[in-house]
Amino acid sequence: MIRYAGALILSLLLLLLPSVSGAVLYIDINAPGGKRMPVALPDFVVTAGDASLARDLPETIAGDLAMTSLFDVIARQAYLERIAPEHFAGRQISFPDWKMIGAEAVVIGKVEVRGDTMTLEMRLYDATLGNLMAGKKYTGPVRRFRKMAHKFANEVLYAFTGVRGIFDTEIAFSARPEKGRGKEIYVIGLDGRELRQVTDNRSFNLFPRWSPDGEILAYTSYRTGVPQIYVQNLGTGANRLVARHGNSKSPGSFSPSGDALYATLSVEGNSDIYRVMLNGSGLQKVVGGWGIEVSPSVSPDGKSVAFVSDRTGSPQVYVKDFGSSNERRVSLAGHYSTSPSWSPAGDRIAFTSLSGGRYSIYTVRPDGSDQRLVVSENGDCIDPSFSPDGRYLVYTFRKNGYSELKIASGDGQWHRGLFRGLSAAGSPAWSPRQ
Amino acid sequence: MKGLAGGKWVLAALSIVLLLAGGCAKKELVKSTDTAPGAGISAPAPVEKPEQIVSEPLKPGPQTAMAEAAAGVAATQEKPSPFPDIHFDYDKSFIREDAKPVLQKVADFLKKNPGAAMIIEGHCDERGTSEYNMALGERRAESAKSYLVSLGVKSGGLSTVSFGEEKPIDPGHTEAAWAKNRRAHFVLR
Repeated sequence: MIRYAGALILSLLLLLLPSVSGAVLYIDINAPGGKRMPVALPDFVVTAGDASLARDLPETIAGDLAMTSLFDVIARQAYLERIAPEHFAGRQISFPDWKMIGAEAVVIGKVEVRGDTMTLEMRLYDATLGNLMAGKKYTGPVRRFRKMAHKFANEVLYAFTGVRGIFDTEIAFSARPEKGRGKEIYVIGLDGRELRQVTDNRSFNLFPRWSPDGEILAYTSYRTGVPQIYVQNLGTGANRLVARHGNSKSPGSFSPSGDALYATLSVEGNSDIYRVMLNGSGLQKVVGGWGIEVSPSVSPDGKSVAFVSDRTGSPQVYVKDFGSSNERRVSLAGHYSTSPSWSPAGDRIAFTSLSGGRYSIYTVRPDGSDQRLVVSENGDCIDPSFSPDGRYLVYTFRKNGYSELKIASGDGQWHRGLFRGLSAAGSPAWSPRQ
Repeated sequence: MKGLAGGKWVLAALSIVLLLAGGCAKKELVKSTDTAPGAGISAPAPVEKPEQIVSEPLKPGPQTAMAEAAAGVAATQEKPSPFPDIHFDYDKSFIREDAKPVLQKVADFLKKNPGAAMIIEGHCDERGTSEYNMALGERRAESAKSYLVSLGVKSGGLSTVSFGEEKPIDPGHTEAAWAKNRRAHFVLR
């Protein structure tokens, strides 16, 4: 009995540490341009529920994997075997049939919907060895079915690379609703699905920022007629005012511990950067000066802050180390550099810069070295926000009043549209891992 | 009996292993469990709580008071002004020569009507980033306020608010539209 259970623990450990057991299929995520891993994603088995789930679920996973440029999903026309409920009850998958069409790995899934609840089991197999690389069973509300697929896409990436995926993260942004002149805050999945509205007061709601646990959004709202900063629980909708001092205000970023907000407030007639305690215990000026100081983005270790200042006559990005009077300029690109986003990986800061008549996205090391142009298009690319793994950026593309949210890889080699369903979409903020 | 107790210990250890390895200290929207590692081993049924759904829909906040809602909607609309707007250069907040006669008229009015309260709105064109424009609009409004005070207006009756790039008076995307949208707007309360 005990020996059996011990074997079970070992199997689970192996299951959870696939980079050890699946060394044959290991992909180095930091070596771009290598051979892509061919994966088969046959239709899922739907034992009860909407038949369209059979294809929507594997396609959701395929879309996630496409973001990485590490996988090739083999076209389903080539598939020789049809996955049946019995494959989840002991029947062997015919791995030679999958190897024959070039698949190195196969993902299968089984869906069962009872009322509003969906149970989804997914398995990733090494087609060569025939062993299970990852297996998960999820239960949740059926309307969040994509969330489960995104979570398993994370598992697939982890099994091959040892790196945690971000496919179940979300983007918050502001946009004009179909009616009215105001802007509301919205949240959308990384695949451009499951759009949800967070505010509904028909005023201006701007600059959403995520708490470190992903449960709270801070934003600026004009709902009383003047701008104030609110924090809102995404689960319950409960919200409260956190900054009433001064005139214009915007939340820059939460402290890594989540107990404070680094925010731009105009208390003394111009915008400065303050640390605002969320428990109401007060505020403390962090960066000031005669000019505009705005858009704080705190480093993941909480020891430094990137911000914008126009102290030299034009807006530029600076970094201040807390406990030091030193404030160093890190943007060197053009005569207008704004909206810094410090990567959660810590190693780079992204920002918007104007050069050659258009706004583009650059990244730079926090010490100001190694500045790189990352995204430049036939229009303006502004307001970058890093993914929680620091590998991607979401940004706003604008041209002649048209606006769209897009996602790019951190080196700019890959990008795609995220959302263009509402006008004036902007200020995207990438959620932490959930 | 002994075997059963041992089984319990193993299950507890298993749960810890799962927790540590899975890093699932955080609340997940969708609950998950690892499935059987394949044929040959029967399902381990990782004895956690029956799977529950923790997901909640995003709901808008509680109903705001009527007055607040009305003021919030009104903030998105252009308010009437007895004075023309003054305009600014790109990314600048200094008072231009063409703005000075307008500000003189505003100052004369406020000095003759010491009880009047005025809100000075600062606005920007759509270029650049909206958060910086919010700060720039603030400084334009403050710049107009300082100039009025320098003309002898008492600062107590003056307040400022920035709308950044959110309220263009001209919805176009040309130099001419942008020039009109870089403005301070004078509203009597």
